[in-house]
Amino acid sequence: MRLGLRGRFVAFVSAIVIAFGVVLSALSVRAQNERLRHELEDRGKLLTSVIAANSTDALAMLEVRELRRMIAEARDQENVLDAVAFDEEGRVLTDGTVVNPRRHDLIPEAALRHVAGSEALLVEFAGDAMTVTKPVHLGGRVLGGVRLHYSLAGLAEDQASLARRTAMVGAIFALLGVLAAALLTEAVTRPLKEVIRATRALSEGEPAPRLQVRTSDEVGELAEAFNEMTRKLRDTTVSRDYLDRVLETMGECLVVTGPEGTITRVNSAVCRLSGVDEDELLGQNCRDLFRAPKGHLSLLDALGPDGSARGLETELLARGGEAVPVMVSVGAMTPSTGSGSSYVIVAADISERLRHEQQKDEFVTMVHHEVRAPLTAVRGAVGLLEGGVAGDLDDRGRELVEIALRNSERMERLVNDILASRKLDSGRMEFHLEEVELMSLVEQAIDGTTAYAADHGVAFDLEEGVPGAMVRVDPDRMIQVLTNVLSNAVRFSAEGDAVAVRADRNGGKLRVAVSDNGPGIAEEFRDHVFEAFARGEHEAWRHRSGTGLGMSISKGIIEELGGSITFETVVDAGTTFFVEIPEST
Amino acid sequence: MHARLVLGLALVVFAGCGQSSESPPAAVATATPAPSGVLAFGSVSLNPAREHGVVRPFADFVASKLHGAGIGRARVVVVSSLSQMVEEVREGTVDVFIDSPFPAAFVWKHGEVQPLLRRWKRGADTYRSVVFTRRDSGVDMLEDLSGRIMAFGEPFSTSGFLMPKAALASAGLRLVNYEDPAASIPPDRVGYVFSNDAENTMFWVIKRKVVAGAVNADYFEALAGDRLSELRILHTTEAVPRNVVCVRRSLEAEVVRAIEKALLEMHLSDESQAALQNFEETTRFDRFPRGAEADLGHIVALLPHVQEDLGQ
Repeated sequence: MRLGLRGRFVAFVSAIVIAFGVVLSALSVRAQNERLRHELEDRGKLLTSVIAANSTDALAMLEVRELRRMIAEARDQENVLDAVAFDEEGRVLTDGTVVNPRRHDLIPEAALRHVAGSEALLVEFAGDAMTVTKPVHLGGRVLGGVRLHYSLAGLAEDQASLARRTAMVGAIFALLGVLAAALLTEAVTRPLKEVIRATRALSEGEPAPRLQVRTSDEVGELAEAFNEMTRKLRDTTVSRDYLDRVLETMGECLVVTGPEGTITRVNSAVCRLSGVDEDELLGQNCRDLFRAPKGHLSLLDALGPDGSARGLETELLARGGEAVPVMVSVGAMTPSTGSGSSYVIVAADISERLRHEQQKDEFVTMVHHEVRAPLTAVRGAVGLLEGGVAGDLDDRGRELVEIALRNSERMERLVNDILASRKLDSGRMEFHLEEVELMSLVEQAIDGTTAYAADHGVAFDLEEGVPGAMVRVDPDRMIQVLTNVLSNAVRFSAEGDAVAVRADRNGGKLRVAVSDNGPGIAEEFRDHVFEAFARGEHEAWRHRSGTGLGMSISKGIIEELGGSITFETVVDAGTTFFVEIPEST
Repeated sequence: MHARLVLGLALVVFAGCGQSSESPPAAVATATPAPSGVLAFGSVSLNPAREHGVVRPFADFVASKLHGAGIGRARVVVVSSLSQMVEEVREGTVDVFIDSPFPAAFVWKHGEVQPLLRRWKRGADTYRSVVFTRRDSGVDMLEDLSGRIMAFGEPFSTSGFLMPKAALASAGLRLVNYEDPAASIPPDRVGYVFSNDAENTMFWVIKRKVVAGAVNADYFEALAGDRLSELRILHTTEAVPRNVVCVRRSLEAEVVRAIEKALLEMHLSDESQAALQNFEETTRFDRFPRGAEADLGHIVALLPHVQEDLGQ
């Protein structure tokens, strides 16, 4: 039979208490035995001494009748088995009986020797009896003595009584042990039972009751720990519910997989987008849900060394063979155990965006074919007019032609910028990389913009350079970037100002800094500087503003070339743009 | 020997001139009216209560056997001296007197009683005494005791004192009583002390406290034990009856015969034996083998030597 905690505890405590009681009783019995034995011994010794003292005169006078009376009295005493009085020769004078059969018998030699040399008691033990010999001396003369054979068997009766008492004590201890164990067990198991009840309630989804912490011992700690656990569990439950709601609310698809890509969780967005139920998805491999990105065998194959990826464009394979274009980000989730990462895949449906892209492309194509070509023709025609192909123009006519020419050029730039921006966005801009000297590109850009600057009364001041420093870029695109930055500085410079141009090394990169003394960039606009069609709200400078695409295009190009573009600005003091590009070694 | 002591001539009369008591009508006679006759048992003792307790059951038992002789009950008379006993018998207040040979002989010779039967005690019909000494005492014969001191038992003991003393005296020794065993004894006297116990007497001789002693011959060897070889017997007295039953001379012959018959038959029944045993270990009663005169003649002859010791 298997005992429960309570039974084991009761048995254990009972055993300890009973063992304690038994040991205590045994020690008590031993002590009692010793005490009883000593009491009996003392009683026998005292009796012998008294009889010997009372016998002194009778021994001295050889009053055997008197001795017989005293020895007879001694024999009547409890536990006295035998008694004799003997003379100085060790011969028995009387054994207390009238017949006195041992008359003249000699006492043992050892006792006789003792009597001759000592007045002390001689005690000899044999079995459950002792023989006490008390010499009687008077005035230095040995008269003889008294010898009592004294039973210690009375001890046996006392021991029987003692055993009964011990058994009773043992029984009481056993009773107390069981009682104490029961009480102790109740005290220990009651909180445990409460914990068990609370745990069951918790497992059945009922609110876990708060346990009372009655003591500060381990049991109290257990109750506290349980309360803490339920509190945390409650919080965790709330958090999970919250998280579930968040995941179900989010429009993006969320897929969680195991280390091998087996799907362990999906949100409802996945089901909606794929048209597949959650139950059907769970257990599938994610490669069955996502098409492998270009150049990879599977989605997980496209992950970086850290197990993550951003902005992967691929397709989600929906029911019925439909492929939904998605932008995927993958994060590795390393468990606390440290082995077997899970993956969190977030996929956003980009069908709409691609459609917009397509519409943009169609628009650009339309602009390219339907606007740019006619515009080129217009500009050419206006240019011919300005050149006097159609004859001399009067002042008014020349002014109108110049206006037309200026606006057609502006429109041409706008169209070019729109086309460039679109190429950048769609990744169709072509780059012809080659090793060129940076300063050459800078100087070409300055040269190309000088006329524009001169029109605004602005000069360029090339303060320092990095002669011989090489970069691997598409020279035209790089010049386009620098030109954009230079013309932007000119645009925000007052007439008569100079735009400072510096080229230097910053870390492992080459940096071209273009500084103006213009109005600076307002705080609220700084985050939008590189956005398409973004223009500052400086009313005073609006007339000089460009297409609003220049800085966006510049950022796109320089980043495609492996560089970057940043700025520092102080309102009403000026702005410096930094174009950084890796130095070619 | 029961504790009866005769000391000197002074008569101490307990409860007036003596103590007597009568038993109620014997229970055995309830079937028919008990005879009115009363049989009086006399005894000498300085402890009348104890003596009465010893004699009374026996007296009642005997009386119950004497209804045919007109005896319906018994009476016990305890006096403190032999002289008073003589008087009680003479006055007819004592009918039966049972005692050791010397007291019995004394009352017989001075009073109105007649020896009737012997009383056995402890299985013995007679006893005798021995006078002994150590072999190395230098005493080879009784005469060698002169100038030295010996020990007797109790003053009222026939075997321990009266008989050996009478024997020594009859042998011509002049015995003088001393209190101290170490007393200086004139060369023409034999000093004696009372050891009051046969065992004392034996050890006193063996331990040389006295030169000689006298004890009942029946106990001598037991008392000497393994030291018997160290001792020498100087004299052994003649055998005398253990105890003597005397009846008042004037008692009716029918009653005497009835008493004699009852006592002689007592040892024959279990009921009677119990009464005998309780009466100081009496074994039985019998007639004097050679007749009272012959069997008690020796005692009567020695009586003068212990006359004073009997308190007369």
